[in-house]
Formats: sequence, structure tokens, C-alpha cells
Amino acid sequence: MSSPLTLAPGHSSERPRRMLLVLGGALILATYLFLVTVQPTEIAGGVGSTASLVSLFGFLGGGALLVGGILPMLTTSSLVVMPLGIALNIAIGQIAGSLGMQIYLDAIGTVLVAVLAGPAAGAATGALSNAIWGLFNPFALPFAAGAALIGLLAGLAAKHGAFRRVYLAPVAGLVVGAIGGLVAAPVAVFMFGAAGTFGTNAIIAVFRSMGDKLLVAATKQGLLSDSLDKIVVFVIVALIVYALPQRAVRQFPFARTYRVLGNRSGRRAPQPTSGIGTPAA
Amino acid sequence: MPRRRIYNPLTELLAAALLVVLVLVVNRWEFSFAVLVLVVLPAVLLSGRIRQISLAILLVAGPLLLSSLLLHGLFYPEGRVILLDFGVARVTQEGLSFAAVMGLRMGVFTGVLLTVAMTLDIPDLLATMTHRRWNRKLVFILGSAVGILPHVALRARQITRAQQARGLVVGREPISRFRALLTVTTPLVIGLLVDASERNHMLQARGFSSSVPRTSYLPDTDTPRQRWARRGMAVAVGAFSVLWLGAGVLP
Repeated sequence: MSSPLTLAPGHSSERPRRMLLVLGGALILATYLFLVTVQPTEIAGGVGSTASLVSLFGFLGGGALLVGGILPMLTTSSLVVMPLGIALNIAIGQIAGSLGMQIYLDAIGTVLVAVLAGPAAGAATGALSNAIWGLFNPFALPFAAGAALIGLLAGLAAKHGAFRRVYLAPVAGLVVGAIGGLVAAPVAVFMFGAAGTFGTNAIIAVFRSMGDKLLVAATKQGLLSDSLDKIVVFVIVALIVYALPQRAVRQFPFARTYRVLGNRSGRRAPQPTSGIGTPAA
Repeated sequence: MPRRRIYNPLTELLAAALLVVLVLVVNRWEFSFAVLVLVVLPAVLLSGRIRQISLAILLVAGPLLLSSLLLHGLFYPEGRVILLDFGVARVTQEGLSFAAVMGLRMGVFTGVLLTVAMTLDIPDLLATMTHRRWNRKLVFILGSAVGILPHVALRARQITRAQQARGLVVGREPISRFRALLTVTTPLVIGLLVDASERNHMLQARGFSSSVPRTSYLPDTDTPRQRWARRGMAVAVGAFSVLWLGAGVLP
């Protein structure tokens, strides 16, 4: 890939960047633990405003800190593919939502970017995707941290070979989807009372009719829908990247270095020295 | 006719976000209803895009409100006062009340944010972010994603038509839909990646990765007064939230 025609920035910003990543991850984890373990008061009295605020600020703030820490480490080749991932997420997710499907299909772009450009680019794409989608569909906004987690895990799965064989992709999708469902459920419950599409609410209604609490019912629905959704999304992305010409895949240092598509990734590049981010071009 | 812009997009976005925070802090249906009637409704009426915004709010919030009403109205095991009993499903007073509180909250959330978003001047917002020295990569991604969206939708429609001309028929079965989705997405993604590769070369050649401050060709519409107003609004809402929640915690 072509190298920048300007001098590379120094390493003075390395420590604050790592600090942002650690703080963002810690904030998201603390928010999740608070919502699931400390907060769960009986929903019958109404969803407490503290839980809603913690959910909004914890997940959005954590996502913003992660993006702030990730953006400086991304190369231009990763940056130019992120808007396309965001646009794909929004365009396909909007169609799936309007059809009232039981799955969302709103992470195809995130997983695609994660597979080609790495976990860091995938996480930033997921978070920014929901932030931008929030301008057209405000219900997407609080799920930004969950989307970042999907991008991060998809990239890590790709790095460890989940996209080298087509039959490995749905297995990775199942695991990533289950984790994503667990994280998204408290947001859906404490922000919107678990309101979703007719398809997803029908699943929650089944669990509620069995006497489950709203958070438990939403978590079970999340585990079902998100796992199925990510299985489909991972398979679609695997089939798309297999159909890409090698020239298109080779422009991404991450895909080249870690041979994320096996023999389809092209020539092996030298191993990078550190980090989960996209290696320097 | 679009309304004449008075405030900077950043000021409008922050005001909308703070209003949502206030609704969450107060957490009473009366307050949500008042915001909906006294703030959202006039804002939509004065926006100059009444039809488009009303339609968008209806399309985004309508299905969610209806499905929420059905979910909590019929399946609310915590409910004690039963109004109607259908066996598995029971209409309870508590369920309807919960659905109403959540519905009003979602109504405010959608109304406020969609009204601001649909009257937002994106180039003005990006110019302000550049003038205020926001991260250049973030500004590029935001601007590029918003700009590429209609392009992606148009290209997807063109590819769908081309594939239909070659015999693509979308059936009702999931496999058929899955195959149709792949038939459209694969050429779409390949085309977009080729474009992205060209954009990469162009950006590299123009020193995108350098660290010097960027210049915006659009004038800065932000004023010191609005910057102070933004800080003041954030501090006021923060202080109110602390006091309100503190009062709620105290006996």
C-alpha cells in the first residue's frame, strides 16, 4: 500500500490513547455490571431514571472514549472503508427493521470492516455507526457500545482464523451474537422498556407470558435473536469477502498480515510488533 | 420552505440531547407529555418540513409504540389490577401505565432528535467541528458516511434492478431472500471497496495523515455567545439532575 507523503506523528500521544481505551472499556463494563447486578429493582414500579441515565451515559460515554482512543491509531486505508461499513449497516438495518424481521442485519458493515481492517476499526465502525444512525433512528443511539463490542469481537475472531473456512464463520457468529445479546438487553429494557420490532417483541411476549421478568425475557430474546442474527451476518460477510478480488483484500494490512481469509488473503506480510489495532501500512 | 437557521448545529444538537436527558431525569409522564406538546410540536410546526418530519416520526416510532403497547398491555405478569383476561394474555392497569410512560419517553426521544436531525445543516456542522479543532478523522468519517448513504442506497437499487433483469426473483422462503441479499450485496460491496481504494490514494496524496490543523472552506457560523450558551446549558442540566436525583434519594 502507498505510504503517507508526510512525516509520521510521534509516539507522545500513545499513553493518553491507551488511557482512553482502558477508561472506555472499564466504563462499559462497570455500566453493565451496575445494570445487571446492583440495579435490578422490580420493573413493575416503572424503570428508574437512574438506571436509564446510567445506561445512556455509561454505554455512550464508554463508546465515545473507545472511539477517541482508537481513531488516532487507524491508517487511512482503514478510515476510508469505515464510512462504507457505516452506510451498509444503516441501509440494510433500516430495511430489516421496516420488514419487522426477528433479526436485525445491522452489523454487516461492522463485521466487514472488522474482517478487512481489524478489531479496532471494527469497534470504531460499530460505535460510530450507531451514533450516526441515531440521527435518523434515535433508538439506535444507546446501543453504540454493544455495536463496538461486536466489531471488536468480529475482528478478533477474524484475526484468529474464523473467516479462513466458511464453516467457522457461523460458529464465531454464534459466540459473538450471544455476548452482544447479553450487553444489549439492559439497554433495551432500561431505555425503552424493551420495545423493538414486532418480531423481537413477539419473542419477549412468549417469555413474559411464562412469568419471566422483563430483563430476563429481554436477555433471552437477545440471546436468541442476536445469536441467529450474527450467524447470518457472519456467513453473509464470509461469502462477500470470499467473492472479493485479491487486489481488494490486499489493500488492507490487517487482512494481509493475519491472513484472515487463508490463501485468499494474498502474500504473507511480516508480523506486526504489538496491539490489536490495524498494523501500520 | 426550510426555516431560517438561527443557531449553530452544535447548539441545536446539544439542546436536543439535554432535553432527552431532562426527560430521563424527571421520569414522569406529565413532564414527557409537556415536552412533547410544548417543545416538540412547535418545533416540528416551525421546522418548514412538517410533512417529512411527521412521516419520519410516524415510521420510526409508530411500530415501536404499537409493539410496546401490545407487549406490556397484554403480557405484564407483575400487574395486579386485571382489566381483561384472555387466558395467557391479560390486560392490566400497571402494564398499560408502563406502556404509556415508555411510549411518551420514546415519543420525546424520537420527536426531539428527528426534528433536529432532519433540519440539520450537515456541511455547517462539519465546518463547525473543523473550526473547533475536533478530531479530523472523526469529521472525515461523519461527513463521508452521511454523504455516502444516498449513494449506497441508489447503487443498491440499480444493482437490484440489474439482477432482476437477469432473472433474480425474491421468494418468500428465507433461503431465497438470503440468496437475493447476497446477489445484491456482493457487487455492491466490491464496487464500494474499489471506490474506497481510489479515495485512499487521493487522501494519502493530499497529506490526510499529517497532524497539522485542517482548514475549512466554509465560514465559522459559531459565535462566542453560543459557545457560552452551550456550556451554560450543560452545567444547568447537570446541576438540575444532581439536585433532582438527590432529592429523590433523600427521604
